[in-house]
Amino acid sequence: MPSTTTRRLAAVAIAAGLLMAGCAKDDGSATRTDCSSGSSAAGGSSAAGGSSAAGGASADCGTGISKDDVAGSTDDPLVQKAVDGYQTYVEEQVNGLVTDTKVFTDAVRAGDVEAAKAAYPTSRQRWERIEPIAALIGDTDGAVDSRAEDGVKDTESPEVTGWHQLEYDLWVKGDIADSKDLADGLDDELQKLQAGLPDLKITPLAVAKGASELIEEVSEGKITGEEDRYSHTDLWDLNANVEGAKEATTLLQPAIKKADPDLAKKLDTAFVEADEALAPYKDGNGWKSYEDVSDSDRDALKAKFSALAEMLGDVPGALKLS
Amino acid sequence: MSEQPRISRRKFVVGGGAGVAGLAGAAALGWNAGKDEAPASADGLPAPVRLPFHGTHQTGITSHAPAAALMASFNLVADNRDEVRAVFKALTEEFDTLMSGTPVPDRGEHYPPLDTGSLGTNPPPADLTLTLAIGASMFDDRFGLAARKPRELFTMTKLANDRLDQTRCHGDLLVNISGDSPDVCLFALRQVMRRTRANLVLKWMVEGFNRREAPKPGKAQVRNLLGFKDGTANLDPSSDALMGEHVWVAQGDGEPAWAVGGSYQAVRIIRMLVEQWDRAQLGEQERIIGRVKASGAPLGEQDETDDPDYEDDPRGDRIPLDAHIRLANPRTKATEKNKILRRGFSYSRGFDPAGRLDQGLAFVSFQRSLDDGFLAVQDRLSGEPLEEYIRAEGGGYFFAFPGVQRKGAYLGQALLA
Ligand code: HEM
Repeated sequence: MPSTTTRRLAAVAIAAGLLMAGCAKDDGSATRTDCSSGSSAAGGSSAAGGSSAAGGASADCGTGISKDDVAGSTDDPLVQKAVDGYQTYVEEQVNGLVTDTKVFTDAVRAGDVEAAKAAYPTSRQRWERIEPIAALIGDTDGAVDSRAEDGVKDTESPEVTGWHQLEYDLWVKGDIADSKDLADGLDDELQKLQAGLPDLKITPLAVAKGASELIEEVSEGKITGEEDRYSHTDLWDLNANVEGAKEATTLLQPAIKKADPDLAKKLDTAFVEADEALAPYKDGNGWKSYEDVSDSDRDALKAKFSALAEMLGDVPGALKLS
Repeated sequence: MSEQPRISRRKFVVGGGAGVAGLAGAAALGWNAGKDEAPASADGLPAPVRLPFHGTHQTGITSHAPAAALMASFNLVADNRDEVRAVFKALTEEFDTLMSGTPVPDRGEHYPPLDTGSLGTNPPPADLTLTLAIGASMFDDRFGLAARKPRELFTMTKLANDRLDQTRCHGDLLVNISGDSPDVCLFALRQVMRRTRANLVLKWMVEGFNRREAPKPGKAQVRNLLGFKDGTANLDPSSDALMGEHVWVAQGDGEPAWAVGGSYQAVRIIRMLVEQWDRAQLGEQERIIGRVKASGAPLGEQDETDDPDYEDDPRGDRIPLDAHIRLANPRTKATEKNKILRRGFSYSRGFDPAGRLDQGLAFVSFQRSLDDGFLAVQDRLSGEPLEEYIRAEGGGYFFAFPGVQRKGAYLGQALLA
């Protein structure tokens, strides 16, 4: 889902116009941002109060990278190698995303509910691996990954487009006869994303931040089961976030090992532990329903991912990235 | 016989030479924790100080009623006892750092700063205390500690008048924080959580405050949200004798050795139905509590510190037999052992879906025996008229560790040894 954090991840030197487009959707009226959800939770009912576990998601809307960071570069050849590798990775993911998603949208257009349901989580994998970066190109994030804010906008509001609207049609309405336009729209947006790739120039800081913001994504939406609240396929997304973060980190690891061997070691361990925490919920090639995750395992996931986020927060410092 | 040492004989200097005062119970200005006396500020309140972290007991149990406080309960994610040990060590270090006001090192512009910065570069003295307690769940099968459970510790169960919300109950660890303002407490909480993210997952928290008035001889400083003085007849935390008698677990209590010097902590998040209360007649309010609202004096008496003299009122003509203070402490020889140290605070958490304010008392009591202390008192209070206006919604029973006596030692060390 689009979050302010990702929107602020402006450490990617892309055309200024695209940057502005990314900011312009900050009106956020139809979409759920973590800033707005934070304030609405605090706004009254005791059930949603910040003192309960449910209200505890602490999205720090002030984090992320400002436009000042756009012009980053590096003298460290190890870092440069990571940047090049990550650029290639993002391109691969976006290209694959268009094809993966077409399997899903084709099923929707064919009116095949079961096939569409099966293709829904797989279609999102590549998106979730690179979301903080991809969300910077054009207005993609808002168009493909927004969700109706409960009680503010109807889930069937025409302003809400993309995966989660289709998720609602599939799992709640159980009727996709009228969903063809949504499917077409999703394809179009992702093609626009693909077309924006040549303008994407990734900076060293964006690689590091990309990793930590993917883990933030986990803490913001997935760990609460909010992201895929109808299909409960959150673990697919969550795992994809981890894969994306791991890719960026792995690319940076040679540089981190040189700068701060201790941090490098801790990161390796933390990723292994994150995988271990997820392992019990693997189901063939996919993932079990998030509803199957016990409370104590949700705690374990929260702990592992928060620890990982703290460590990743030190990577730009260790590498002196700016 | 029922005479209570209700008034602290402790003397302290009030700024401007205004004189010397003794204060009751929770209202006592806590130079009872071995800190230096501090000059008072313009409003007559003593200036905040740094309270010592090290000592026989945890400082935050007997320091004065805090102006701001919070409790945060955590689930502990750990695979084995070594990991638990690492968490307790980290908490100990962080508590010490925070209470001593040690500034964090500057890591330069490329790293996130090591502290939140919300108190500036040098955290000012702020009466800050951090106190660690553990819940009964720490003694389940996860860490092999079952045989070391304090014998009276158990998971809080629902009482007749309770509406417990399980998402606001229990927890493996309870971190108590108090200080002179809410930002100080929140700063400390954020630092503690940052340090322990890999293992501590927040379960619930409650934040609040105590109104503090300039000290006057023999008067409680605090009023709770029902408008009554709170703490008048509390145990005086500056009295080592009283604390030894009623608060600290001692050798020979039949408790595990690691628990000696610690204390049972009962926490009850008690919602007050304030709109309803505010519509109750003053006379009814006073009969429910057993004290005069304005002065805090027992009904029929003059002064806040006067003895309620129940012997003289056997049928409850003056102070009803079911008045809160009379049930809570009948002041007989037999109930002497039920005395507890109260250290709660008021909270406000917005309003409920019906538009009613969601306010109450985060009741906290420390006692040597949970059975003889909180549970016995609560049992007597069961069915009291006050229940019409209150209901417990959360909380839990915990055990607060003994203090850490020297650098290098850590909270819970003896438990894990
Ligand atoms: C919202 C709930 C409560 C309110 C508003 C409340 C209020 C008061 C007030 C106004 C007093 C008199 C002043 C004082 O001595 O501090 C008092 C005394 C006391 N309360 Fe409560 N209280 C509450 C809950 C409890 C609970 C749950 C307990 C223990 C189970 C308790 C135990 C006591 C004791 C032991 C005293 C001292 C009685 C004496 O020694 O004379 N209170 N309370």
